[in-house]
Amino acid sequence: MDYVTTLKILVIGESGVGKSSIILAFTTGDYNASFPATIGVDYKCKVMEVNGLKVKLGIWDTAGQERYRTLTSSFYRDAHGAILVYDISEPKSLEKLQEWVEELQVYSTKKNIVCLVVGNKIDKPRAVQREQGQAFAQKHRMLFIESSAKTQEGITLAFEELVQKIIETPGLWESGGSSSNIRISNEASGRQKEESTCYDYSCTI
Amino acid sequence: MDDVLDEVVSSEDLQKFEKIFHEQLHQGEVTHKAQFEYAWCLVRSKYPTDIRKGILLLKELFNSHPDGKRDYLFYLAIGNARIKEYNKALHYVKKFLEIEPANQQVLALERQINKRMEKEGLIGMAMAGGAVLALGGLVGLGVALAKAKK
Ligand SMILES: Nc1nc2c(ncn2[C@@H]2O[C@H](COP(=O)(O)OP(=O)(O)OP(=O)(O)O)[C@@H](O)[C@H]2O)c(=O)[nH]1
Ligand SMILES: [Mg+2]
Repeated sequence: MDYVTTLKILVIGESGVGKSSIILAFTTGDYNASFPATIGVDYKCKVMEVNGLKVKLGIWDTAGQERYRTLTSSFYRDAHGAILVYDISEPKSLEKLQEWVEELQVYSTKKNIVCLVVGNKIDKPRAVQREQGQAFAQKHRMLFIESSAKTQEGITLAFEELVQKIIETPGLWESGGSSSNIRISNEASGRQKEESTCYDYSCTI
Repeated sequence: MDDVLDEVVSSEDLQKFEKIFHEQLHQGEVTHKAQFEYAWCLVRSKYPTDIRKGILLLKELFNSHPDGKRDYLFYLAIGNARIKEYNKALHYVKKFLEIEPANQQVLALERQINKRMEKEGLIGMAMAGGAVLALGGLVGLGVALAKAKK
């Protein structure tokens, strides 16, 4: 266990857009053509290296089905990053993402949480243009990427971009959860910038 | 935190859903939703008495509301595993897998329960209890291999 910090990553969006599939693709490289709906909340960890730092990701896979909504919101607490997923073959799933942004604004506790919008299933016939997803992300000052859990395209990149941005965000994370004696803190470097980080930032990949 | 069995409910959440449940109870009618939400919090409590109460509520739901079967079986397995009633937990896992044999979330839970049993030296008991014979066999093999390596 020689990672410098543990980051909490939240994955949200409508049921069926491929949240669990993206996490499965990222953590194991596998794909399941008939993935069952998640029950409540699932949890996976993975250690990854970004900018030469090893970080442990605790990934919270929330169920998109409406009946879990009241309970899953309590998992937003203390998240460092959020991945908001829609399905590029289902325009409705992007429209609905607005509700998830609102949930996030209400329940997330870290004010400079880094958010990434993912348009998934690019292996399928497209019903949402890339520009529409991009515009949505820009409007909310979030990162943007398109992916396919089926072909793996964009999957690793999505997590890398998100984690890199979290690591670069002053005051968002603290070193710890490690037995090594590496102690890196990004607090001192940019305290005064804390207010402005996430929400005035926007970028597309 | 390494797996879902480590996850503990916050006291705010527990209180919030407890309040809703009790309000409905006093009014004489508890919805499935309120009962499930409260039970979900209870089985993730750090206190075994809460967990046992959650298990009772889930059993009641299981018998009265077939639509939510997979939710109830899943959290019955989690609740039992958290009070170290591993054989019961595996029984609910097995029932779940009869309906959805390839469910990754439940297969992962099964692995975590087995890992805990192994860590706590309970494998022999599971086998004697004959809870899940095929599984016991597999885990037994793992133990035998581990021993052979030393
Ligand atoms: N063609 C294609 N299908 C995908 C892709 N990602 C996921 N799917 C399929 O879409 C279905 C739903 O995927 P899930 O990962 O279960 O969706 P989810 O967002 O986790 O859904 P909930 O758990 O109910 O919230 C599954 O049958 C997947 O196989 C993809 O990139 N391309
Ligand atoms: Mg899912």
